[in-house]
Amino acid sequence: NCPFPAYLSRESILGEQQSPSKNNSCVAEQHGRERWLGAFVLLPGADDRLLTEPLSQPDFFNVKELFSLKDLFNARVHLGHKKGCRHRFMEPYIFGCRLDQDIIDLDQTMDHLQLALNFTAHIAYRKGIILFVSRNRQFCHLIESTARECGEYAHTRYWQGGLLTNAPIQFGSGVRLPDLLIFLSSLNNVFEPHVAIRDAAKMNIPTVGVVDTNCNPCLITYPIPGNDDSPTAMELYCKLFKMTIIHAKDYRKQREVFHELQSKAEGEEMPGKGPHVPVSP
Amino acid sequence: MAGSRVQKVGSVFSRTRDLLRVGLLRQPLWFEVYAACPPRREPRYRLPRPRYGRARDGVAELFYPEDRVRAKFYRVYGSGPRPFDLSQPNYKSTCQRFVEKYNELKEEGKIEEEKLFEETGKALLASGIILQRRGTDKVTQQSHQDAEARDFVLHQQLQSVLEEMQGKKKDVEEQPPELTQKENLVS
Repeated sequence: NCPFPAYLSRESILGEQQSPSKNNSCVAEQHGRERWLGAFVLLPGADDRLLTEPLSQPDFFNVKELFSLKDLFNARVHLGHKKGCRHRFMEPYIFGCRLDQDIIDLDQTMDHLQLALNFTAHIAYRKGIILFVSRNRQFCHLIESTARECGEYAHTRYWQGGLLTNAPIQFGSGVRLPDLLIFLSSLNNVFEPHVAIRDAAKMNIPTVGVVDTNCNPCLITYPIPGNDDSPTAMELYCKLFKMTIIHAKDYRKQREVFHELQSKAEGEEMPGKGPHVPVSP
Repeated sequence: MAGSRVQKVGSVFSRTRDLLRVGLLRQPLWFEVYAACPPRREPRYRLPRPRYGRARDGVAELFYPEDRVRAKFYRVYGSGPRPFDLSQPNYKSTCQRFVEKYNELKEEGKIEEEKLFEETGKALLASGIILQRRGTDKVTQQSHQDAEARDFVLHQQLQSVLEEMQGKKKDVEEQPPELTQKENLVS
């Protein structure tokens, strides 16, 4: 019942030799599904179930319920910049141009927003590190407080050149990079694409970003075409991201507790076997 | 553990998938999620190229049939008597009421096309909205009056100048005898 093609299975990728790697001080070490405890391997069942359960349905975390088209319209998400500021690659997302002002197609925005929130929820469920990035000074405080409230991170100040690409030298070796970057405004103060978009693409980190009509949506993994200048729109985005992340994390805690109880119950039923099964020689 | 920093070649997913297949990378956190719920467009890098020839962008201009009525309204009455209050989500401006009344009367069909505009104005007046005609008529009347006044004043001035000139001529003619008389007097 695996949703992924056969060549991506663990055996084909890693082969028969599964040597434990200790003291791996590599920069891009991500949270892996396999936890190496000496010669012991955790029962694949529990961990797999925990991680593959949300992938069974397309909208497992029910993010569609969090917003409606009316909410987006009232928050003025559909208002774009003037015709002269339009970026060529934003044309498919624009509904039309009313007296030289671009109007963003909210049906597409709904669709893209649902995909982006779903992805964020899954990353938060898997205990990934999320970094909010924006260089819009008007909403810097709002974004920082949103990040603090959902237990994630934010970077709304000047982006130094090597933050992602030169991380071990800037922060020390063994640093864990963010697993998702959320751009609430993908331009910097001089109306050029934010450096972090290119850096995240270089470091193979997926990005979610709100793209206005003057932005380049090419390198953003999950773009959300919408207004990034109105306060109502930014408050809406912050609220939606905060709710998805908090719900996903709560659900994760619930499932972990459930699995713990389940494994304890199994352990009590079969006193001989513990939760850790030694690898057979 | 390897990485691939060539952001212009493929997408993040394609590079990670290929590195995984080769065995140089351990599966990242987001890989399964992306595979299960991919975005609408693969995030590949594209060069923004200029348009050539007669290629046009696919963004339509948004115009409605009511815009004709709106344009005429604003030309005749200027911006309405009441300012726009956009803080309310379902605010109806004077122009919008005018347009709706116009469409109602048009659907009824009893009034002719040319008189529809005036009839809507009268109907709105009846319901309590006072519309003041803008400048176009006032300005033309005023300018006409001003022009007339200016013409009249100019005429007066010209006449007085003419009279002065005629008077001067007479003076010039009369001067030598006057002067001689004065000289006679002085002496």
